[in-house]
Amino acid sequence: MRIAVCVKQVPSSNEVRMDPVTNTIIRDGKQSVINPYDRFALELALQIKERLGGSVVVVSMGIPATARILKEALSCGADEAVLLSDRAFAGADTLATSYTLHLGIRKIEQRLGKFDLVLCGRMAIDGDTAQIGPELAEQLGIPHITDMEELLEISQEQLVCCRLADGERQRVAVQLPVLLTVNKDINQPRLPNIEGVLWAETAPLHLWNAIDVQANLKRCGLTGSPTQVVRTQVPQRDQECKILLGSVSEQLKVLQHLLKGED
Amino acid sequence: MESLIRTMDDSLAEVLRDESRNSGRAESVSFPRSEEEVLKVLAYCRSRGISITVQGARTGLAAAAVPYGGHVLNCSKMNQVIGCRQDEHGRFILTCQPGVILSELKKAIDSKSFDMSLWSDESKACFEKVRKAERQFFPPDPTEASATIGGMAACNASGARTFAYKSMRAHVDRVRMVLTTGKVVDVRRGQATAQGRSLELSLLPEGLLQLDLPTYQMPLTKNAAGYYVEDDMDAVDLLVGSDGTLGVMTEIDCILVPHPTFIWGVSCFFPREQEAVEFVIAARAQVADLVALESFDGNALQLLREQRLMSSAFSRLPQVPEDYGYCIYAELHGSEEGCMLEALKKLGDLTESVGGDRKHTWVARNEADLALLQFFRHAVPESTNLLIDRRKQVCPVITKLSTDMSVPDDKLREVVAMYRRGLAEVGLESAAWGHIGNNHIHVNLLPRDEDEFVRGKALYQRWAEAVVAMGGAVAAEHGIGKTKVAMLKSMYGEKHIQEMRAVKVAFDPLQLLGQGNLFPVEGGEQQ
Repeated sequence: MRIAVCVKQVPSSNEVRMDPVTNTIIRDGKQSVINPYDRFALELALQIKERLGGSVVVVSMGIPATARILKEALSCGADEAVLLSDRAFAGADTLATSYTLHLGIRKIEQRLGKFDLVLCGRMAIDGDTAQIGPELAEQLGIPHITDMEELLEISQEQLVCCRLADGERQRVAVQLPVLLTVNKDINQPRLPNIEGVLWAETAPLHLWNAIDVQANLKRCGLTGSPTQVVRTQVPQRDQECKILLGSVSEQLKVLQHLLKGED
Repeated sequence: MESLIRTMDDSLAEVLRDESRNSGRAESVSFPRSEEEVLKVLAYCRSRGISITVQGARTGLAAAAVPYGGHVLNCSKMNQVIGCRQDEHGRFILTCQPGVILSELKKAIDSKSFDMSLWSDESKACFEKVRKAERQFFPPDPTEASATIGGMAACNASGARTFAYKSMRAHVDRVRMVLTTGKVVDVRRGQATAQGRSLELSLLPEGLLQLDLPTYQMPLTKNAAGYYVEDDMDAVDLLVGSDGTLGVMTEIDCILVPHPTFIWGVSCFFPREQEAVEFVIAARAQVADLVALESFDGNALQLLREQRLMSSAFSRLPQVPEDYGYCIYAELHGSEEGCMLEALKKLGDLTESVGGDRKHTWVARNEADLALLQFFRHAVPESTNLLIDRRKQVCPVITKLSTDMSVPDDKLREVVAMYRRGLAEVGLESAAWGHIGNNHIHVNLLPRDEDEFVRGKALYQRWAEAVVAMGGAVAAEHGIGKTKVAMLKSMYGEKHIQEMRAVKVAFDPLQLLGQGNLFPVEGGEQQ
């Protein structure tokens, strides 16, 4: 069973703060992590490999520092990793990203053979589009199942799973190859062990640029992105919390004034 | 005054208890919001001869916050960070009121976001420097992150990282303390130091406190038993760890340090306790960048396995395989990834050298994974508390008997063997975990009925005497409070207890504060 898992680097905290001047994320020395949904996808891949044999390749598109999260995936048990990194890939929307990821997967397939399974997290917690999985499947020309929340059966030829569909569970059987996007909490992602962490330092990690994957530059990065981000802004909150002090009767007086709009 | 001092009623019953699972009684309660209100409360009690128990978040495990009658002065409403400064070493220092909650302080430091509406211009200007500086953090990390800074200072709290960063005392630069006399002590580190064992402290608005400090030698181990005293000591060190017996802290200046670039946590599993102990002894001698070495024995791991199945709240705990018999959690802090990897490799090599397997380890290298291992660590005491609460419903007399003793490094093997021998002899159920790097293991005796409880208490007292004979401390981090008063006497003897009492009387002439803490009172000791 050959499995590819797409992972994305995202900010480590749910409480992301934005710089009000530059409208960019304040990283403040905090490290990025594997997108939490992608960790469930990786864990699923590792469990399938343990059951059926085969190999797991993790793929990401990003800046060179993304290598760190790929090493993290390798330390958990992935066999090799591919990082697609090139200035030409910068500023990509979901269409250009899925195009680039598909080129990376195709290039790996030239050496390893066709993937039976491609797994993605349901969505990235920083973008929330949930578009990469389905778009990548289209680029690869394979079927896809989104929001998978339980794998019921799997063999070398097919799988049966449950997906979440408009609040209901839908049971789906599909022939491989297939792309699945994986919901959260379908498993408990493992922590790496010392052996894995040390192995990951020298494990196969391929760094490929646009030329390596023979990319059509018109379809990559900002140039290849029909979605243009015109402006980002930090939502302004106008809620204010006032703490009333004093005795209950004093607080009630202040509260009355506030409710009447008198400051 | 009526709105400040409230008569005790059922709605306030929670102030009668703390996390030690002991409860007491009180006639009145106050929740002052300022030092001025604290002074008013103390004056009211002084004029009427009412005893006072000072409280923070009541997360203490030695019943120091449990009242023996009188008045409860609860500091939870004094919960603001009120200033910021930079000292001559370039360190940033935050002035905290005693009711500031540790988890909230840490969050505010991490996000560099404070309510500065009451801050001076100097503080605001200094905080601008904090904003521009590298990420900062406050190292003390007691298991209970809902503890207050005042409570932590009162009992000289510590936690897993004390192994490298030391206890709360090392992170306090200044204490402002209101005395029952109405006078105030306001002392910064370096401003008032003892001459040998004589200490003079200036009082505000005027006056001088002249103290003959106790003459005992403290054990050379992690220690939170009795007043901190040594030759030529700093006055701040006496106030920190005074267990609510000298005064009411109204301001505590907390020293920040730069946040480490890398924080990695590693749980290493071993077949048996013996291998784990050998691993600890080797690791602390050979591994650089180590800031914590924590242990979980087989019974603690089994409790977690059961709790994980019983309660959805624990379901995200990592599953511990059945053949894992003992766990050591090691934490590494560093600035170079290469050094961190070297240290990790060393931990792996040591694991294998004592008979473990470096595949039987969990490595956490990001905040989410570290939080998971922290949850694992905190789930152990939670699980035993739940267990004891269930048993207490059947037999109300019993409570958890959790040891808090430390010994010198060269006594680790001996003390572990003593615990196992004692448990086998008495036949009590137990779970042990704690700060094995500091030779400070919390052995939790889990009695099922009154008979087992009585036998457990006797065993604990026996252990305390043996620990003192090994040169150890009977209270390493929870303080003496009310639960270990007899053990303090075993440790120092009556003469030194009286020397401590003389210090207390100098601060608190009517002995109104913290009755039952450190010193015995009529009515007996808490369990």
